[in-house]
Amino acid sequence: MLLQAENVLRARPWAVEDGHTAKKLAQLGLLVVVFGIVYGAVMGSFGGVFGQRFWQVVFSAIKVPLLLMGTFALSLPSFFVVNTLLGLRSDFSYSLRALLATQAGLTIILTSFAPFTLLWYVSFSNYQGAILFNTLMFGSASFAAQWVLRRFYEPLIERDPRHRMLLRAWLVIYAFVGIQMAWVLRPFVGNPNMPTQFLRQDVWGNAYVRLVNIIWTFIGG
Amino acid sequence: MRKWFKQLDKILRGDATRMSLLAEGKIRIPVGGLSVAIVLLGVLYGLCMGSFAMIRTGGEAYMQLIASAIKVPMLFFLTLAVTFPSLYVFNALIGTRLSVVSALRLLIAALGVMLAVLASLGPIVVFFALSTKSYPFMQLLNVATATMAGVLGLGFLLRTLNRLVIVQESIESSHVGPKSESNEGKEKEKAYDSNRASEGKPAEPIGALDRAGKFTTRKAKSVFKAWTMVFALVGAQMSWVLRPFIGCPSLPFEWFRERESNFFIAVLRALVNLFSS
Repeated sequence: MLLQAENVLRARPWAVEDGHTAKKLAQLGLLVVVFGIVYGAVMGSFGGVFGQRFWQVVFSAIKVPLLLMGTFALSLPSFFVVNTLLGLRSDFSYSLRALLATQAGLTIILTSFAPFTLLWYVSFSNYQGAILFNTLMFGSASFAAQWVLRRFYEPLIERDPRHRMLLRAWLVIYAFVGIQMAWVLRPFVGNPNMPTQFLRQDVWGNAYVRLVNIIWTFIGG
Repeated sequence: MRKWFKQLDKILRGDATRMSLLAEGKIRIPVGGLSVAIVLLGVLYGLCMGSFAMIRTGGEAYMQLIASAIKVPMLFFLTLAVTFPSLYVFNALIGTRLSVVSALRLLIAALGVMLAVLASLGPIVVFFALSTKSYPFMQLLNVATATMAGVLGLGFLLRTLNRLVIVQESIESSHVGPKSESNEGKEKEKAYDSNRASEGKPAEPIGALDRAGKFTTRKAKSVFKAWTMVFALVGAQMSWVLRPFIGCPSLPFEWFRERESNFFIAVLRALVNLFSS
């Protein structure tokens, strides 16, 4: 499995070569889940790992893969239809593996950041700070994962420049769904002063509506 | 059922609207099976749309779910019924070889594209229905998904119509071709191009900025462009006439609401509500 992770990071053609498509998809999915669990567990360890807080570790470990795979699954159907419409169906199997490999790359990079997160948790006890730090980690990991994505996608774009446009459309839809997914699956870090829950019932809502309201009250004073 | 969706798949892949097929002036799409696939996809998206009202009222507004599932396919077929006569008339005016039946088939194929896109966005709509309380947000989200579906579906229609015009022209000029050789140089090139086209080679563009095709071709294209705009407007207003699709959770369930306002004002109002809520 570590070998596969290495292959993904180096964008070796292993993931996108023809043959054994289903098996490769499963392996890539497994990579996302395993590395997602590792980072999730670290993420949830903010308030300690004993007693009640242990559950936060478990919940976060489940939630990180859920966030990534859920967003992926929700965005996939429309991506598939648009690919077909542009006449790029024959490349779809390739792009699917490239995108999933990018997801795997993202979780692997995140896992490599886990020691930083632990160090941060050990040094600072501020809850807001922990959230900000994790946001920063997710942001940098997403940024770094673009490398993987670009390298996997290069041959496709060379073959047909429309893949570049499709890739952008994918990233827009993925981000749109992913932001809301992350908002819905809160808390990932878990405020130590609040009881540990899988989901926060009372703050169930829409990230974009909140954002608009915040901007609106800011403008309106 | 698999056969019906295979037909839809063929349209999505563009196999049903290849130039070589269009040259015969016929579009071979089995409308019956495709219509069933369209209805099923419409029902699917209707369920996604209606789920918001049901979730927000804790299951009371399950009627909205049923109503939306019926209304989404209805919306598309009614829009088709309203716009079809004018499509055929323009099509005949411009002089493409499309028969009434083929024009209808083409329009149904475009509906297929729209609903395939729409249904593929369904999971995202359900996800937001599950996680959001804001009615204006859901309105705008659905307007956005329908716009996406409309742009792609009408894009398909426009491309196919343009292909038809080009095919038509190449057929016509290959008949006139030998005669026009004595004409001016440009005409010669055109004839050369169309001969190449009839031999299956792509036509050579004359200059970097030259548009392919004759003046009439361009006029035909702009007519079709205007017509697709009409289709979009009719669809938008039809959706307003058939509302509610999403169902405001604070209002009681109704099959149809009172006649008032219009689609575009409603979208503006939703935007304002989103900001002021």
